[in-house]
Amino acid sequence: MERKNIVNTRYITFEGPGSQLLLDSGQKLTAVTIAYETYGNLNKKRDNTVLIFHALSGDAHAAGFNSESDKKPGWWDIMIGPAKPFDTDKYFVICSNVIGGCKGSTGPSSINPETKKPYGLSFPEITINDMLKPQKKLLEHLGIEKLFCIAGGSMGGMQALQWIVAYPETAKGAIIIAAAAGHTAQQIAFNSIGRYAIISDPAWNNGNYYDKSCMGKRPDIGLSIARMIGHITYISEELMHKKFGRDFINKNRIKKSFIDFTKEFEVESYLYYQGESFIKRFDPNSYLYITKALDNFNLSQGYKNLVEAMSRVKSRCLVLSFKSDWLYPGQQSMQIVKALKINGVDTTYVDLDLPYGHDSFLIEDKKLISLVKGFTGGLED
Amino acid sequence: MRRFEIINNWIDKNSKVLVLGCGNGDFLVELNSARMTKSQGIDINSEKVYEAISRGLSVIQGDINTDLADYPENSFDYIIAHDVIQIMEKPDAVVKQIIKLGRNVIISFPNFAYLPIRLTIFFSGRMPKTKVLPYEWYDSPNIHLFTIKDFKDFCKKENIIISRQHYTGFGKRNIPGCASPNLFSEFAYFMISGIKK
Repeated sequence: MERKNIVNTRYITFEGPGSQLLLDSGQKLTAVTIAYETYGNLNKKRDNTVLIFHALSGDAHAAGFNSESDKKPGWWDIMIGPAKPFDTDKYFVICSNVIGGCKGSTGPSSINPETKKPYGLSFPEITINDMLKPQKKLLEHLGIEKLFCIAGGSMGGMQALQWIVAYPETAKGAIIIAAAAGHTAQQIAFNSIGRYAIISDPAWNNGNYYDKSCMGKRPDIGLSIARMIGHITYISEELMHKKFGRDFINKNRIKKSFIDFTKEFEVESYLYYQGESFIKRFDPNSYLYITKALDNFNLSQGYKNLVEAMSRVKSRCLVLSFKSDWLYPGQQSMQIVKALKINGVDTTYVDLDLPYGHDSFLIEDKKLISLVKGFTGGLED
Repeated sequence: MRRFEIINNWIDKNSKVLVLGCGNGDFLVELNSARMTKSQGIDINSEKVYEAISRGLSVIQGDINTDLADYPENSFDYIIAHDVIQIMEKPDAVVKQIIKLGRNVIISFPNFAYLPIRLTIFFSGRMPKTKVLPYEWYDSPNIHLFTIKDFKDFCKKENIIISRQHYTGFGKRNIPGCASPNLFSEFAYFMISGIKK
């Protein structure tokens, strides 16, 4: 059997004077912990770092395996590794969990150092820009000033967008996949239903479900419904129909004595499974905080318009959208491209013809891989 | 093969260049190496743009008919429209636009008044098919074919300055400007610019 490439998730806590994280809301977070993983080695010139940003439900574990018994590698293993687009023989790749999350970085399920209890809803509101602040600190801690490239899809793409505006001198290249400079009403609406599902679950209890007195009752039903809705939006209608069509779970359709309102069709069972597996790895409050950060993201905020916001950008940009992505359609990427073009930024854009929908950036595909490889190769000249 | 030699020779080294309808980027590769440019391209075909980006080139998928308006004036030293103007929906609007965006604009096109074309129409009474114009009448992308004289008339009308011209005839032989190029050249190259302010 092939030996697995084992990586360990590491943690850093910013403590001591001046280490407080000042959030966009004006509130402060103390003793912020960041979970992160690195792949490859930092070179002597310290200029070969690739910073990867994860999407809504992602985490710091972007590549390799955390243990021999892991069945699946990290979420972007197709991109990170030897001879892959983010070639770990050449680049030093970093990925960290966002704050507000629940995979090792400080979030609503973390213990508030002041009260010694989980934050719950006392966790302050965070923004996409806030997510970047501890990542910048992490880089400083690792002695990295310049980045070879930054990359992310969906919420990761929004972080990349915010990064090239907030820290314009740092990244040589930026890869922005299936993202938007701000959510449309439809995108907010889908997230809103997800949030409603969670907060209307009685077990949510105003975000206080971490306590022992709750006997382990969490708003799992709410969270799984939120995930089911989200999942529908992440894949294309074409792919979904191809996978499941109108197939029934019970192929013989044996007459039952009752009507099955939940799992009669294959697609129903699939969605149910998606919801079930998600609740094992995600915190409902984190889902609320992160989707809120996504909905509030507006790159033009504080500027006259998007063009003015983008006037700070110095990075060479690769913007990608997918023809089958109806959640973050190509027009939103084209708005970004337009603003970059007006500012004379060296920009590359294609609306890639992949069939998988919004999640196309997570699926192994020759085209996606050679595109990103081509762009990083071009950055080296 | 130096397919784009004529245009390449007109470009100063280290210039900022935009190539319209750049396809999979063959021209960009040649231009970048010959003239040390970091040329950018635009093409509507996602498959071709994908190929170009995979080669590390700076290319945007976009529609020349509509998406050029995004660039600020004088963004480029050269804008190259090689064999594409005749496929535009509104060639006049595109030309008027690009002379604002580029200090110099290079336009090349098949000359529809080329002698063999005239003879084909005259003797066979059918739409001509040549190496340069190989399409059937119904599937041709060339929706706005024109001649060298047409183009010169247009430049005059729009106060566009023609700074260079080059003509090639059968077998890509060079045709001197004095030898009735409108009759003997199959392909024409012009370098033009807007009125000096």
